[in-house]
Amino acid sequence: MVDLTLEIRKTAKELLEKGEAKVVLGWEKGNFPYSTTPVFIDKPEDTERLIWDEYCINNLALYMLDYKHLDGKVGIFVKGCDSRGINRLVQDKQLDREKVILIGLSCPGMKDEKKAKELGPNADIPMAQKCQDCRYPDPVVYDVFLGEKQNKKVPEKIDTSDVEEMETKSPDEKYRFFTTNYEKCLRCYACRNVCPACNCKECIFDQTATGWLAKANNVSNNMFFALTRAMHVGGRCIECGECERVCSVNIPIMLLNKKIIKDINFLFGDYDAGLETEERLPLGGYDYTDPEEFM
Amino acid sequence: MLVVLKAKLKDILNTLAEEYKVLVPAKIEDTSKFISYKDNVDIILDENVKLSPKDVFFPQTEKMYKMKTVKTSMELENITDEAGKKLLFGVRSCDMKSLDCFDQVFLTKGYIDEFYKNKRDSVVTIALSCSQPMQTCFCSAMGVDSQKAVGADVQAYDLGDKIGLEAISDEGSKVIELIKGQLTEEGAEVPQPGEFYLKVDADGVSEKLNGMFESPIWDDVSKKCLNCGACTYVCPTCHCFDISQEVRGENVTKYRCWDSCMFGEYTQMAGGHNPRPTKKERVRNRFMHKLNYFPDRYNMLLCTGCGRCINVCPVNLDITSVIKQIKEAE
Amino acid sequence: MCENCSCGNDHNHDHDHDQNVLIPQRGKIINIVEETSDTKTFSISTIDDKKPFDPQPGQLGMLSLGNVGEAIFSVTNKGENHIEMAIKAVGELTNALHEVEVGQEVGIRGAYGNGFPLDFCKGKDLLFIGGGIGLAPVRSLIMHCIRNRDDYGKLTVIYGARSKADLCFKEDLFENWPKVPNMDVFVTIDREEEGWDGHVGFVPSYVEELALKPQVTVVCGPPIMIKFTLPGLQKMGYADTDIITTLEMRMKCGVGKCGRCNIGSKYVCLDGPVFTLAEMKDLPQEY
Repeated sequence: MVDLTLEIRKTAKELLEKGEAKVVLGWEKGNFPYSTTPVFIDKPEDTERLIWDEYCINNLALYMLDYKHLDGKVGIFVKGCDSRGINRLVQDKQLDREKVILIGLSCPGMKDEKKAKELGPNADIPMAQKCQDCRYPDPVVYDVFLGEKQNKKVPEKIDTSDVEEMETKSPDEKYRFFTTNYEKCLRCYACRNVCPACNCKECIFDQTATGWLAKANNVSNNMFFALTRAMHVGGRCIECGECERVCSVNIPIMLLNKKIIKDINFLFGDYDAGLETEERLPLGGYDYTDPEEFM
Repeated sequence: MLVVLKAKLKDILNTLAEEYKVLVPAKIEDTSKFISYKDNVDIILDENVKLSPKDVFFPQTEKMYKMKTVKTSMELENITDEAGKKLLFGVRSCDMKSLDCFDQVFLTKGYIDEFYKNKRDSVVTIALSCSQPMQTCFCSAMGVDSQKAVGADVQAYDLGDKIGLEAISDEGSKVIELIKGQLTEEGAEVPQPGEFYLKVDADGVSEKLNGMFESPIWDDVSKKCLNCGACTYVCPTCHCFDISQEVRGENVTKYRCWDSCMFGEYTQMAGGHNPRPTKKERVRNRFMHKLNYFPDRYNMLLCTGCGRCINVCPVNLDITSVIKQIKEAE
Repeated sequence: MCENCSCGNDHNHDHDHDQNVLIPQRGKIINIVEETSDTKTFSISTIDDKKPFDPQPGQLGMLSLGNVGEAIFSVTNKGENHIEMAIKAVGELTNALHEVEVGQEVGIRGAYGNGFPLDFCKGKDLLFIGGGIGLAPVRSLIMHCIRNRDDYGKLTVIYGARSKADLCFKEDLFENWPKVPNMDVFVTIDREEEGWDGHVGFVPSYVEELALKPQVTVVCGPPIMIKFTLPGLQKMGYADTDIITTLEMRMKCGVGKCGRCNIGSKYVCLDGPVFTLAEMKDLPQEY
């Protein structure tokens, strides 16, 4: 991996010194060799905290929601997935593109933090699942680019082999699979809160007084949450895999998201969310040519 | 010391299962937690479980009582807890300490929480010492002895390929009595625990926090927080709950369930006012509660150094870093 | 310390230690008084016509409607076989409560919280300041003082609401309390209004205008009113220990377990809701 840490610091420092950005979002080292943590730099001298290594896995885009009302610009380092997250927010009218300075970084694929924890310091750590599945390691939008694009050869279409495998199972097997997984869901909402597509000002699941979803933790409530969320991000999910990465009980959340992506691709034509900001979302409107056999 | 080969552990558990409902730390569905012992469960002894045993005493969702509401009438019906003694095998010192915290909350200050008490009274504990701390562990910094748990009925020691057992309470002696025939007496040394990876110095942190409510560190600490409840739900000491009801026509079941101070709705009042409106106030409350409010109220920290929050935090908001920041703050 | 048992609570209360504190008693609404367009006072007995619990002035009770939910309210008064709660319709449960009629069965549990420091108030001249529904917690103390009239000095009430229609406890304000020996009642509304020849103006300025100097003042109302009343009282020379108020937080259990009503290390349900200004100054500003 090309060490761009010094360049990152220099770029951030310049943005802050020149007053072009009020704050710069990046990653700093965590307490473990395999951990990094998002960092928010607003003083040029603090840019020394910024790093770039194979564990800068967090998608930083969603933090832009916290800076909606900032008077000034935000600099943010973006990998492929972060940049798609930015497009996501811009397209959802949650973010003014003019208010962000995107500093692009080509992502070699980040390592799996959980595996690193398990395997110990000397092991060969595999790439995180979300990065193995990634088809856009280079940022799809940026203002400045650091290092060189890898133009890595990536599959043209989303790999939905796991979805297809699930589709071959019997209804009972599917039911068992999903109930087993959602029985253990803690409803901590980490998946929702880390998601750049989950940007509603007030989430339906927080409106507890309405009775949409009871707080009681049981498999039916948990699945209602999971399915509703999956449908709600349908056509908007940028496949960054953050939901699945952060799940504290390892629920294969992307399987649901990918199933919906697969269906959308089939019904409305291939669509990769977060590549641009102008086109209408596949589920954001209708055409006379839309299939309607299911209606 | 009375010892048993780890390879023969299941024999002992089988014997105990005749007397108790035995719960063991086990791998299950790509996570790990305490589950009912069966011959085929995948018991884990080399590390602590990912989900704390708090749900044994304080289930994530617990039915409290029922009501039947017909027109203007309302009848109440109690729900009785499942009867029978439980035995919790292999609880680490950090999680035993969390029960000590729970006891303070649920059993003192004038009111006894009967739901908790019933469960607490029905559980016998076999604590297990740790030979090698996990990377995220920092119990010693929180005043917890990984080799000797507080409040255990039996203390078990990890002796490599064997487990040593020592009765602590009367209840513990009864447990040992049941399995005595399967144990052998050996002169065993309790091994020194391995080094902690995380170096944490929490001395004086509670006192230091007394004047830090308005400190700028809370802006800094909270920025990366997503306000999800992962840390609070895996935490063995987080005990906050909500009370709600499931309505099915005339039949209402009142339940309580885990809640999290990370959620905005937690302190949202009916009139619209929220005293903790943003993540800054919520994150501050969480750490103040653990490190200052709770010590002030109950004279003990509300953190046992189990490291689970560090393990699950989506953004690596690490309590040991927060402690360091508090200590270094001006 | 609690004298009724060895529970270690730092105040008296009469809870039954065999009773599961989180399970309510079966109660019923025996009377409803419409105070204003959005506030009603409910009288609640147990199903067998007994007082659900014997609250001290300022203490709280949990009231529930089976299929809606449960919430905590201050007890505004008690009678031989009932307690009273004045409830403003602001949320799901309170709106539902406003729909019910006399005879409705409810869940009721309590009494929770510390209540007003009666021993401290004894023998002293007391000034009660209330705004809107904020008179509700104070009313329990006023009624207590009236019932034990000889134990207390002069009683003065300053009360205000947005309009005439928003005044709670009108019968007390205009009929009952003015007749009590050595008791004055001053009422104000925010804006001029036809048919109102009383005082017009906000409570904080009325308090300063009247410049009364009883020994202890009890002030309850919306946070904004308290915020603007306190400096005036301090200017008038009240010590922080002589200014008493009540605080509100969201509550679920009422008994210091569920966690959410903390202000710093104090739980409002258990250590409050009554705090002196001196005590409040030790709390973080997070309410």
